[in-house]
Amino acid sequence: MNQSSIPVLDDGERQPIDLLRVPGLGRLFRWQYARPVLQAPLLILSGVMILHGLFGPSLAPKNLATSVTWVHFRGILVLVLLGAGNFFCLACPFMLVRQAARRIFRPRWSWPRALRNKWLSVALFAGILYIYELFDLWASPWWTAWLILSYFFAVLVVDGFFKHASFCKFVCPIGQFNFVASTLSPFEIKVRSQDVCTSCHTKDCIRGRREPVSDLVTIRGCELALFQPRKVGNMDCTFCLDCVHACPHDNVGILSRPPGSELLSDSLRSGIGYLSRRKDLTALALVFTFGALLNAFGMVSPVYAVEIWLGRILRVKHEAPVLGVIFAVFLVAEPVLLLGLAGWLTCTWGRVQRGLLPLIVRYSYGLVPLGFGMWLAHYSFHFLTGLYTIVPVTQSALLSLGWPVLGQPRWMLTGLPSSVVLIVEIGFLVLGLAGSLAVTYGLAEEDSAERPMRTFIPWAGVCALLWMASMWLMFQPMEMRAVLISG
Amino acid sequence: MTCDFRWSGPGKGPFPKERKTLLRCACTAIGLALIVACNRAETTHPVLRIEHEIVPQPVRVGSQTVILRVTDGAGRPVPGAHIGFEADMSHPGMSPVFGVAKEVEPGRYQAQVEFGMAGDWVILLHIALPGGQAIEKQIDVKGVRPK
Repeated sequence: MNQSSIPVLDDGERQPIDLLRVPGLGRLFRWQYARPVLQAPLLILSGVMILHGLFGPSLAPKNLATSVTWVHFRGILVLVLLGAGNFFCLACPFMLVRQAARRIFRPRWSWPRALRNKWLSVALFAGILYIYELFDLWASPWWTAWLILSYFFAVLVVDGFFKHASFCKFVCPIGQFNFVASTLSPFEIKVRSQDVCTSCHTKDCIRGRREPVSDLVTIRGCELALFQPRKVGNMDCTFCLDCVHACPHDNVGILSRPPGSELLSDSLRSGIGYLSRRKDLTALALVFTFGALLNAFGMVSPVYAVEIWLGRILRVKHEAPVLGVIFAVFLVAEPVLLLGLAGWLTCTWGRVQRGLLPLIVRYSYGLVPLGFGMWLAHYSFHFLTGLYTIVPVTQSALLSLGWPVLGQPRWMLTGLPSSVVLIVEIGFLVLGLAGSLAVTYGLAEEDSAERPMRTFIPWAGVCALLWMASMWLMFQPMEMRAVLISG
Repeated sequence: MTCDFRWSGPGKGPFPKERKTLLRCACTAIGLALIVACNRAETTHPVLRIEHEIVPQPVRVGSQTVILRVTDGAGRPVPGAHIGFEADMSHPGMSPVFGVAKEVEPGRYQAQVEFGMAGDWVILLHIALPGGQAIEKQIDVKGVRPK
């Protein structure tokens, strides 16, 4: 592509960085086999994790399935989302298997219209968080291996029967997590010049590139129904690069942008609609945010006192109903109460001309940075404090196979000291608070330009409360155990 | 609400032969899964008996004493064993604790274990008997409480 198609920006405005123009990296991403090449190592790793989880040591710190999944994968995932974008979905190993399966089994149906929203994936996201706590997945290589296997199975079933990327868009809980978190990423896949798209007649980025005679698709268009010229932000974008490869004008790049800027925009988005009208997306954003606190709460000492207390009140000895109550409080009652109060205050005191529910839906996205800050703090804690544990676990796995190429396991290798990691955690929480305050203030300015503070203060209050709760959680003693409700 | 989007590209019909292959693959996978699922068993040592006690109770974060009584099949104490231990948290990525248990009287061994964090711990005993036989034993320490 020639340089003239890059949009001309104002003098004071910086040219965005385009990763596709970075030497080496750009060439890799433009290569049509870039995705499979990135997926293949993760597929092999998944296979190793499944085998080690099923047949390796039953102790979680000694097993690759649990160590890689709950320490390294989660940590790397959130750090890459923060520093770059949704590159895990790009390298998703499940999609490689799906592609192979689709060579022999072509899906025939479209995803049911009633399920073309995020409600199912919101339920699955909350469900995974619930199962994680109920079955202490972090402590079980066996169940972790089955979780990975069931993921492969679900991908094959859903995308085996339904066309396009139905699993990614409407089902995958990891994907939904990535979609929400990547709204805060510094890069997005975006057209370089709208003028080029206006003059384009083929629309290959969505239709796919086709053979002129047979009309067979040779390069796929976007499977998630994101039409590049009208695509806004990273929501629903798996960074699969199909649009990059399909565009005949080389007009799609991986461009830098201010992180979180898309949360301030309520323009019509291709494949999404208006954020402010998507209650399912709001629910996803809220589960993402409040789920971050809930997931961390499940790892600190006070949760056990709460569970034992609830068990006595409910007169139950099983953890499931007690956890159900805690989840209902954290994921339903707390958001309804906090956001309802903030919304009511904004309507009455701020005199914003919106209905209560549309107002809550609009401002809920402003809490996403706080939630992401909490996920970052939590997952980076495990990742950084257990950074080097992958070395002895791998050494041990190889040793058990009678192949001691890496030597004897050095079990004393762990990671960074907790005191250092605590500073990083606090940094992420402060970053999350700053992001949420910036987004909610931006929305408040848009809603009431004359007195934005009156609109902003109730939401700033919610942000401050959630941030204090996050800080309190960070300073609680960690306690990772299965629950003994009976005390 | 439902989102407004368009799908692109035509769908293709099924291939019966490939479907059969896929069905066979699925059956094989399910069969393997069942074999794996039914194949988990605990291994125990037939003659050696190891009893343990942790004091004080309840177990809290900090240094705790683990007392081990090693006896043979006839209930006689087994002296002269070398018992190394490794204490791990149930969550991966945490620092393990290593040490050696000292023999305080014939067949009775004692170790100081530093539980660094509240939660579930597992103590792995690596026992080398005087005859050269090596035995591994796992002790689950549920719910170590905060200080």
